[in-house]
Amino acid sequence: MQYNLLNKNQLNDLISFLAREQKVVAPVAQGLNNYAFTEIKNGIQATLNYIPTTLPPKKYFMPQRETLATYDTTQGQNMDPVVEHEKVALFGVHTCDLAGIQCLNMVFSEKPKDQNYLARKNAITIIGYECNAYCDRFASCRLVHNHTPNGGYDLFMTNLGDKFILHVNTPAGEKIIERSHLFSLAAKADLAALERLRQKKREIFEKNEIPIEHEKIPELFDKSYQSKVWADLDKRCVACGNCTNVCPSCYCFDVIDEPNLDLTTGRRYRQWDSCQNETFAKVAGGENFRKERGARQRHRYYRKFRFPIEKFSRFFCTGCGRCSRACMAKIDLKETLVSLIKEQGMENPNAGRQSTIAEKPATF
Amino acid sequence: MNKPKVSFFDFACCEGCQLQIANMGELLLDVLGAIDVVEFREVMSEKWVGEFDVVFVEGSITTPQAIEHIKRLRARTKTLVAYGSCAAIGGVNGMKNNYKLEDIRKSVYGKDANFFPTVETKAIHQVVKVDYVIPGCPVYLPEVVAVLKAFLAGLPRPVPDNAVCVECKLNENICLYERGVACLGPITRAGCNSWCINHGNICYGCRGLVSNPNTKGAKDILEKYSLSVDLIANKMNMYNKCGENDNRE
Amino acid sequence: MNTKSPYQIKIGKILSVKQMTSMEKMFEIALPGEDLSHAPGQFVEVSLLGIGEAPLSVSSSPTKQGSFELVVRKVGKLTGALHKLKAGDEVGIRGPFGQGFPVRILEGNDLLFVAGGLGIVPLRSLINFVIGNRKNFGKVDILLGCRNPKEMLFHEELAGWKERLDVNFNCTVDKADPDWKGNVGLITSLIPGVTLDSERTFAVVVGPPIMYKFVIMKLLDKNIPERQILISLERHMKCGLGKCGHCQIGNTYCCQDGPVFTYEKVKAIGGAI
Repeated sequence: MQYNLLNKNQLNDLISFLAREQKVVAPVAQGLNNYAFTEIKNGIQATLNYIPTTLPPKKYFMPQRETLATYDTTQGQNMDPVVEHEKVALFGVHTCDLAGIQCLNMVFSEKPKDQNYLARKNAITIIGYECNAYCDRFASCRLVHNHTPNGGYDLFMTNLGDKFILHVNTPAGEKIIERSHLFSLAAKADLAALERLRQKKREIFEKNEIPIEHEKIPELFDKSYQSKVWADLDKRCVACGNCTNVCPSCYCFDVIDEPNLDLTTGRRYRQWDSCQNETFAKVAGGENFRKERGARQRHRYYRKFRFPIEKFSRFFCTGCGRCSRACMAKIDLKETLVSLIKEQGMENPNAGRQSTIAEKPATF
Repeated sequence: MNKPKVSFFDFACCEGCQLQIANMGELLLDVLGAIDVVEFREVMSEKWVGEFDVVFVEGSITTPQAIEHIKRLRARTKTLVAYGSCAAIGGVNGMKNNYKLEDIRKSVYGKDANFFPTVETKAIHQVVKVDYVIPGCPVYLPEVVAVLKAFLAGLPRPVPDNAVCVECKLNENICLYERGVACLGPITRAGCNSWCINHGNICYGCRGLVSNPNTKGAKDILEKYSLSVDLIANKMNMYNKCGENDNRE
Repeated sequence: MNTKSPYQIKIGKILSVKQMTSMEKMFEIALPGEDLSHAPGQFVEVSLLGIGEAPLSVSSSPTKQGSFELVVRKVGKLTGALHKLKAGDEVGIRGPFGQGFPVRILEGNDLLFVAGGLGIVPLRSLINFVIGNRKNFGKVDILLGCRNPKEMLFHEELAGWKERLDVNFNCTVDKADPDWKGNVGLITSLIPGVTLDSERTFAVVVGPPIMYKFVIMKLLDKNIPERQILISLERHMKCGLGKCGHCQIGNTYCCQDGPVFTYEKVKAIGGAI
């Protein structure tokens, strides 16, 4: 049976069960409507009613700083690769973030494979959590078809009001169901309740957040490389790098050597880097291939909406809205797209709403 | 291997950066294993008469005597490190440059003003050649150690040119603009691991401006958050007034 | 698990170091027990642990066995440290990486090499490969340009190419010195003088970014088809594995899909040259 039920008052027991075998990580309120995936010891600490966390769960798959190797040059260039991982259960992951993890999985599984990423990924159990409505006005998950679950989890929870219904997607998920003894099989009525909820969601998410068809986005970007919109972003962006650091599908990094004071031993590590940083596309001779902030912003948008289509057949924008929330200059992804759409005369009111602030906040 | 002879000197400053180094804790033992400190007024009474391998200089240049002194030090050392905001970018001493020299001298020394010659505040690199720069008020110890390692290995070590926001986001802090507070993180050079913001404070811009700041964009941001441009200009001036000397050159 | 890490380096032993100009040194490096097995135009990631890693194109032809050559201009932290090394020292090597020049496609065709400045470094690998397998290729023209005679690399080899009857060699400097007897002017000035059969000519161009635009214009004037103009792009490939993002141009990763591209392809990706 693919669907199981969990009583609401047993959520805490589930967290405790998971915590016995691994580190459990869940969204935790930080104040000012900010949330962060943080290690929890019991269910009370977690909050399931949350807008996307400041940093996406990618920090567990490729930490902000990650050791790749240690070295000792006493006898020459001797290096020991390091592949670290720890068992983690990611609890309460929204569908946008599941999509982000799927994007990263594709990138790092591509040859030459990234062993550091894959080792961590293999040690992570993912328990998704459904959004029954919009989190806030920044989200554009409908546009990229991430408002409903598309796999990428072990278990997926939906809040049916009086209880949770869980979809079991992998043997690892099934093991949790079997061994925790907290679940009961879902009955026909429960599945009907789930279907009613999804129907209601179809109404809430009936149209895209902006007036364009999903399928037309690549064409929009094919036409927009020389757009004036990038010049506008050039004036506004301060190149703080927030948009890429908070993006669930951004994975660029720098590789840095850090010697110890003896100067013979040390480590080589990678650290998140950003195509928005001034020095990102600079080469040794001094040439900077994306010197203008506008060109760097354009690169970011193309990396979300155009480039990955050919390689991975999907958008790398997950619709989570983090880049818009975190932007110092209030560069809003939806507004940028709407500007491009208008410029190209590709507006289609049937495909999506015209106002970018129409979504009602979520009710859980 | 002969350990490099290292000394610490100060000019106009609060000596807080020296204090940071003296209070380094356990790490200090490792550092002392790698270098030979031959002169450091705040922690030892010995003086060194010969040449130095490295001179760490705290403080900015504010008097004619200081100009002569820093030139003499430069002549005695192979490597010169400007550490702390006062040395690296002029720091708070730069506020002096907001006033006419005569006025400020009178205001400080009153009728004895003539006995105290003064000059416009300058960062160390505005007077002599500097090999390494460690900005910060006070210096961030991991960066001091990183620069020391670069020196020991004979490698260059420029100040990072990304915004503090980059490190702040990696630390997953709540953005201070969401609290309605003007923070200088978006235009200040990283390298401090967003030290102040991690501890609930704002970024005061003590590490200097990024090399290619979008000043217009930064002003727009302030407007959007209903913060006054004067407010942030004043905040920026607190540490970065001496930057004007660089632009003039 | 550890042996699988794509970040693992191989030990490279420096066999010799040769000062070439005031800025460039050539390093002959051997991987104990194996050949690098590179294709002309590929690059390696060179490491000095504690300092860092940087991509450098291989300058020797794969026909040279037992060791390979890198020409390093002193411009940054790693290259500065490399310049301090001597024979017997070790470096870390990863690679070779990337798509080199499509040798199989070039075979049987006429070749026009255009090298500007340091562009001769990777191009030399292909030129020597072609000379080493001379009968497999048609007519060969080599055009070389650099800023001044002092910056010219590989003097002896250039003299050798010049003397060959089966290679047309011509070079120019932007600015002459009193001893210079050759052409003075930009590399583009040499192209109109080349006689070629545009249908069976492949132009292979390597040089600084500014050079590409003007050289390619001249080549197109000569009716060389866009897909027969090959160029090698310089980017800072930090990982060499198509992940870190630094070398990305449009939807291509220079380290995996390049650094050699046809002009046809480069034209289609924005921001490449």
